[in-house]
Amino acid sequence: MIATNVRRLALYLLLAFAVVSGGLGWWQVVDAASLNARAENPQVIAARRGALRGTIFDANGQALATSQVIEGISRRTYADAAFSHLLGYASLRFGTTGLERAYDDILTGRADPNPLRDLVNDILDRQPEPKDLTLTVDRRLQDFAAAQLGDTAGAVVAIDPRTGAILAMTSTPTFDATPISGVPDAAGPAMEAITARDGDPLVDRSRQGRYVPGSVMKVFTGAAALDAGIITPQTTYPDQPRQETEGFPVSGFTIREHDLGGIQPDLWPFSPALQVSSNIFFAHVGLELGGEAFLDYARRFGFCEGQQIGSGARGLPVSASYVTAPIDGDCGPFVDDVELASAAFGQAQVNVTPVQMALLAATIANDGVVPELHAVRDVRAHAADPATGPADQILERSSTGGGSRAISVDTARQVRVAMVDAVEAELGQLFAGAGAVRLYGIGGAQTAGKTGTAQRSEGQAPHSWFIGFAPAQDGAEPAIAVAVLVEGGGSGSGRAAPIAGRVMAEWLRLNGGG
Amino acid sequence: MTGEVLRILLLALQLGFVAILYLILLGFARSLMRDLRSAEAQQLASRTGIGRLAVLESPDDEPPAGTTISLGPINSIGRNVNNTIYVEDDFASASHAMLTFRGRSWFVEDQGSTNGTYVNGHRIDRPVALSYGDEIMIGRVRMRLER
Amino acid sequence: MRLTLAWRWAELRMLLPLAILVPLGFFVTHVAREGVLEAGSLTLAMGYLALMLAAHAILVLSGQRGDQLLLPLVATIGGVGLVMLNRLAPEVETTQAFGLQLDVAQTQLLWFSVGTVAMLVVAAGLRDDGPLRHYKYTWAALGIGMLVFTALFGFEVNGARLWVALGPIAVQPGEFVKIVLVIFIAGYLADNRALLTEASLRIGPIRVPPLPYLLPMLALFGVVMLVVVRQNDLGQALLLFGIFLTMLFVATGRRSYVLIGLLLFVAGVFVAYRLFPHVAVRVDIWIDPFADPTDRGFQPIRGLFAFARGGLFGEGLGQGLPSSIPLVHTDFIFAAIAEELGLIGAFAVLALFLTFVFRGLRIAMLARDEFSALLAVGITASLGLQTLIIVAGNLKLIPLTGITLPFVSYGGSSILASFLMIGLLLSVSHRTARAIDREQGLPDR
Repeated sequence: MIATNVRRLALYLLLAFAVVSGGLGWWQVVDAASLNARAENPQVIAARRGALRGTIFDANGQALATSQVIEGISRRTYADAAFSHLLGYASLRFGTTGLERAYDDILTGRADPNPLRDLVNDILDRQPEPKDLTLTVDRRLQDFAAAQLGDTAGAVVAIDPRTGAILAMTSTPTFDATPISGVPDAAGPAMEAITARDGDPLVDRSRQGRYVPGSVMKVFTGAAALDAGIITPQTTYPDQPRQETEGFPVSGFTIREHDLGGIQPDLWPFSPALQVSSNIFFAHVGLELGGEAFLDYARRFGFCEGQQIGSGARGLPVSASYVTAPIDGDCGPFVDDVELASAAFGQAQVNVTPVQMALLAATIANDGVVPELHAVRDVRAHAADPATGPADQILERSSTGGGSRAISVDTARQVRVAMVDAVEAELGQLFAGAGAVRLYGIGGAQTAGKTGTAQRSEGQAPHSWFIGFAPAQDGAEPAIAVAVLVEGGGSGSGRAAPIAGRVMAEWLRLNGGG
Repeated sequence: MTGEVLRILLLALQLGFVAILYLILLGFARSLMRDLRSAEAQQLASRTGIGRLAVLESPDDEPPAGTTISLGPINSIGRNVNNTIYVEDDFASASHAMLTFRGRSWFVEDQGSTNGTYVNGHRIDRPVALSYGDEIMIGRVRMRLER
Repeated sequence: MRLTLAWRWAELRMLLPLAILVPLGFFVTHVAREGVLEAGSLTLAMGYLALMLAAHAILVLSGQRGDQLLLPLVATIGGVGLVMLNRLAPEVETTQAFGLQLDVAQTQLLWFSVGTVAMLVVAAGLRDDGPLRHYKYTWAALGIGMLVFTALFGFEVNGARLWVALGPIAVQPGEFVKIVLVIFIAGYLADNRALLTEASLRIGPIRVPPLPYLLPMLALFGVVMLVVVRQNDLGQALLLFGIFLTMLFVATGRRSYVLIGLLLFVAGVFVAYRLFPHVAVRVDIWIDPFADPTDRGFQPIRGLFAFARGGLFGEGLGQGLPSSIPLVHTDFIFAAIAEELGLIGAFAVLALFLTFVFRGLRIAMLARDEFSALLAVGITASLGLQTLIIVAGNLKLIPLTGITLPFVSYGGSSILASFLMIGLLLSVSHRTARAIDREQGLPDR
């Protein structure tokens, strides 16, 4: 009988050893990568302290971040504060953020873009060789955009709609990342000085800030309803002209129009409704579209989940944008018709990042395909002298093109025409006209766009929004799509639209337009 | 470049170290298996000519169902722990039955138990000769005589 | 004295590969550290090989016929341990022993020698289980005496009062209490097994053992646990409890005992969590070491990092950062092995321990009397559970406790106690071999 029990005991002990082996496999293989990357890891600390980091160049080969090892301590110098949020910092004291974090293994040389070489390096325990990054961002446009925002808090995101390449991405107020990326002891006071300042300068408003979008959301509502076949460009609502003044009762709540500035209400189809930014029209459209279809299209455009700029493990994370109150990181259901109708014109529980809104504009410009965002053009061998530009040897190139279709080409064209009207047509000029690139010296190019004046709680100035793209006339291929947000900036036409117009005009000028 | 060569060499030596560790482990595993087999053979040898009981059903799991019990020439069965085959069952008596090998065959005899001894479903009232494959029932414990 | 030889060819064959393994380990370490292709000092490795071969020779000469895989298994595990300690030696504190300045590997080899002698004395000298079995209460008293003495006159290291100064040497009596407790429990259970197996009481679906018969054992066990817990030696408490439950299970076959025991233990830990801050801290650190990464969570986190650095193939001997873990040569030597030899190496070490456990349990199964079987089970369970507890603690599967990895961790008391247990296993196995001879009518060899 003892023998039987001993046999059972052997089985139990075998199981226990199996469990322990499982634990061993977990830490050594499954979870090893995340542990190895942790900043507390003594290997990471030791390697980082004296290790050279690769240089980061802008699209034209200008060095933005360079490293030097002085007295055994690696020090990082940043050339331009307009890039502080996108690049982040590489601090021996505070770790890494932004692209410095996303591409840490490449910049330090701990990883090689080529998986095979990576494996060989790892097995042979070779010394890490730092690699350089070249961005898709043009420093000239970045600086221009940052200057436009000036001292006000806000964000500008500019995308090449054809490729998803980030052309500019800046957030204000910004900070100087150099003092916190040098000698660890000096980094502490420098960081304290930054966090003591007003306006949360460390926050990247373009990808971490979530704002009520207001009327810029109507571009989405219209695109979704047109694509679903709920409306055509000619659809009108007989009750709408009357409701512009009397209000539109929905489930016991009355939806009211914003101040139309003396324009006489009329039976408006899609384009004029977008030009005057009629809340009543889009409330009708949203209700007819229905909550489920609204959420379905929202997800197609990238709302409702966290996104990233760049693919795979080295993506720069972008906070999720929501159209309803989030549940477990996803958009929850609409609570009632009032919420749905309000979401249709960008109020209620809609909270979005400037990156997401730039992506919305880029999708319309790209004939309905959501482009894959990326900010790094390629990874190169380390250039000995950053002043002479990046090395010729390209190790990895970011993929361009691709993307997923959100709406049909026809729908995208219909929305584009209406967005051009919203800037260029008679009624549109009254609201979004300040976003037109022709006002800033670019003749012959039409601009598509939409303003937003996002109402906040009582007593707070609305956020000023503009999304758009240019050139947008029939037959032209849009070269830049932008989203501009000015925190508490008042009306969209007052603050955001001129900034967007200037940024787009500057880009067209830099590329030989106008 | 000598550094590189040294690194490759070190890697090879290192893997060699672990490989030898596994070879040793393999040796142990083979010895373990061999001993296991010889132990089984030994048990078989000591068993030849007599037999064993396979426990088919045992509500209280003593003896555990699915196990086999090697038999000596004389086996007492019952609920008292001093029996050769200890059966823990509320329907078994302290001294329930006797299973003996006489001459060339097995016999089972009830020892005046309360609930009786059954052979192939029939209650017995005198010593009964068994053949291999017969089932006996003590209380609720069902066992089969095997070679 | 009549010299009776018993050839042990299987043992010798399994010892021979060590002649490559251990020197190779020393060689790799030296090359990695110095960056030049030269042999370095192999004195320790050769000393270790000589020690194990001498142990083999003495077993042969003394006519020991016990299991032939035990010594090679222990020698392989110990060999990996010695390679590791030799690699750690320049990075951890040296010790002053016998008036000599020795590094940890040298000291460890010294303890291996002491342990081997102790093992041989027990294996060759203890031909009859009488002294163990019949004086079980004396052994129990001795165990309690050692514990009480430690509690009264011991000194603290790292927050636990476990050490007693014996002249120039510091000894951990707790390591030896394990052995006497196993002997006592085996003796007690063997004498009272029939009574304990009989279920006299039933409460609902649970069978309750006849309490009066369990009482002496429970009382002694309670005293031991009380002292051990008071000494803040939670690892030892867990280990003793595990040994106790395992032996009870094997003796009675009742899973309910084990379940009740485990429930009691969990309840006890819960109460201790509420009452004693140092227990609460340990559990909290276990649940989230990253909550306090620079102080209390420091050691476990550094351990986890070492596992992660090792990956599948390891950093290579002498090429990792094991000394970034505090107490790496005792509590965290398994993490160091995993870092430098990788998952493949660490798994091999675990497999060696598992093989040892199977071998020990086989000795128990073959034993011809219950005392011997239970003794073998107790010893095997002791070494097996000790391995599981410290490795699982390193891997954050259970709260970390400061016990050693048998035959691998640096520490004289642990090595000596572990070798004593191997001696006991060998003597059990030897008696089985003789009993089989007698059964088959062979002359007493």
